[in-house]
Amino acid sequence: MLELVDLRRHYGSTVALDGLSFSVKTGRVVGFLGPNGAGKTTAMRAVFDLVPLDSGHVHWKGSPIRPSDRRRFGYMPEERGLYPGMRVGEQVTYIGRLHGMGPSQAARAAEHWIGRLGLTDRMKDKIEALSLGNQQRAQLAAALVHDPELLVLDEPFSGLDPVGIDTMSDVLAERARAGAAVLFSSHQLDLVEHICEEVDIIDNGRLVASGPVDDLARGGHPTLEVKLTEDPAGDWARSLGDLGTVSSINKGMVSVVIGSRDKSQLVLDLARAVGTVEHFGFRRKHLSEVFREAVKAGTQ
Amino acid sequence: MKDDWFAFTWLVARRELMERARAKSFKVATVILLVAVAAGVAVPALISGQKPVVQVGLVGGSAGARAVALEAGKVTGTVVRARPEPSLAAAKEALRKGTLGLVVVAGKEVLLKQVTSSNGTSSLTALARAIAQLEGESELLASLPPAAAKAIERGAALPVRGLLPPPRSLTLKVTGFVAALVIYILLLTYGMRITVGTQEEKTSRVAEVLLSAIRPSQLLMGKVLGMGLLFLLQIVALLTTALVAAAASGSTLLRGSSPAVLGISAVWFLLGYAFYCTLFAAAGSMITRQADSYNATLPMQIPLILGYILADTLTFSSVSTFDKVLSFFPPTAPVIGPAIYAAGGVVLWQVALSCLLCVAGTVAVGRLASTIYARSLLRTGIRVKLRDALKNELAT
Repeated sequence: MLELVDLRRHYGSTVALDGLSFSVKTGRVVGFLGPNGAGKTTAMRAVFDLVPLDSGHVHWKGSPIRPSDRRRFGYMPEERGLYPGMRVGEQVTYIGRLHGMGPSQAARAAEHWIGRLGLTDRMKDKIEALSLGNQQRAQLAAALVHDPELLVLDEPFSGLDPVGIDTMSDVLAERARAGAAVLFSSHQLDLVEHICEEVDIIDNGRLVASGPVDDLARGGHPTLEVKLTEDPAGDWARSLGDLGTVSSINKGMVSVVIGSRDKSQLVLDLARAVGTVEHFGFRRKHLSEVFREAVKAGTQ
Repeated sequence: MKDDWFAFTWLVARRELMERARAKSFKVATVILLVAVAAGVAVPALISGQKPVVQVGLVGGSAGARAVALEAGKVTGTVVRARPEPSLAAAKEALRKGTLGLVVVAGKEVLLKQVTSSNGTSSLTALARAIAQLEGESELLASLPPAAAKAIERGAALPVRGLLPPPRSLTLKVTGFVAALVIYILLLTYGMRITVGTQEEKTSRVAEVLLSAIRPSQLLMGKVLGMGLLFLLQIVALLTTALVAAAASGSTLLRGSSPAVLGISAVWFLLGYAFYCTLFAAAGSMITRQADSYNATLPMQIPLILGYILADTLTFSSVSTFDKVLSFFPPTAPVIGPAIYAAGGVVLWQVALSCLLCVAGTVAVGRLASTIYARSLLRTGIRVKLRDALKNELAT
């Protein structure tokens, strides 16, 4: 398990990390969310000791991270970069060797991952000759070549076409199934919601929400969505009384915030007494809503 | 692979060496340099340095006369090809036909086809006069008792001795200055290549991927080691080409140069590279545009230029205290070192002390450069200020 504990880092008067703590379990894909400038990149770099911390520590499997541990990690930085004039195959092999692989082992692994990411026929091309999307695939191959135990990816989906997104999603899930811990940041929240089991949301260098996506989507006071066929104005809701509070009415769909889930059947009984119930169910928040609420609450 | 520092550093160095050697620009530049050096050495020698060749016929006592003729050839800068003639008549016939340049009749005379002038200065006349002089002296000494001959050979004059050691020859001083000039050019040229190479690595953003696996010190040292080895190979190729071209063309390029000065120069180049390479890399890590490389490397250029200027003055001026002090100062020592030794300003133990100080300085600046490099390499955007790099206030 990767643990980031009470990380603090400031640059002059700017606070990048303000006591940030969270963890990533092995075998899980965790989304790392936050507005621009929230401290995501600084936190990810801290895992690789690329930024000195004012305080706090990063642990892997319960111990401080040693250089030999770090060579079993894979990293795709936000600012992509490989040697422009180096051939794809040689470059990925070289990165594998820097992670401690032998020459033939690294060459075989490079060939495997380059093929897996659809670049077999570009093995001998220089990086600068590839399209941006293909450069990104080569970058992912470089992060995966040594079958890392921890994969940290900063905005891995940015710039990818739908096919590339599917490939990337499959690879992340595959690595997690193989037992790796996967942490990635993204602003594509629908994608994160689709891929991740858990998310950590930070703002101003602090953790503002964390947990399984389903729990966060159901979090807060339960909200019911009720629609009656013959009541486009939602007038029936005036008789709710203490059962709940109407938060919105949109084209007859009434959103009712209730104190507890037990009250849902009472609300249903009330609605059925008025007319035909066309729709009734608990409202599940989108991750984008969770994100906005968490960031707003964190700011306040 | 073992978790040892050098193994990963060597991986970086190897990549640097192989990739740069494979680059078309490097191959083209090296070929141009090799051709330029070969031409620079050989063409002047071929144009102006052709020694005249004279066929010399020997009549009687050919062994002694042959030795005399060859010695006279060395004295007059003439290539002598001597051969015994069957008879004086045959020799005269060959002389008339022009197949012989001159004929030595042992113990008697030196024959030319025609003596053009008593004060003639042609190479043939000069050779004839030298042979006549040496052969005459040889005959005279052979006719005297051994003791008298020995006394004459030794000479009659008393020895002359100075209280101070003789001043260094101009040739030696020029050798020292040329060595300083070459070291100055190489350190500046190769230093700038390191700066640009590091800046390109930073601009391509590959550094962050590399630093997620290895330490900044491994990346820095691997880079300067790989580039240094490539530069060394290039220098060896250039020197080999120069020596081969000099030997093949009969160039006198290295005549009069001192092996000691050349050896010390080689040591100073290596120490100078070690001292400056990490600093040039640190400068490269602070910039994002190649256009900024000149300003970023100015702190390194100033001591190199100062060392070069002082080395220049040492050719015709005496060694000052200031020169001596700067020959112990690590930033200027690699350039001024060979020149001040050639000028007699320092002796070997002082050279050794200066080298030790330079090694200590290399360790110190290596640490400083490594810190700057590690703190600046991931900072993209505007140029990193030295003060910020040292204070570690860089936003990422």
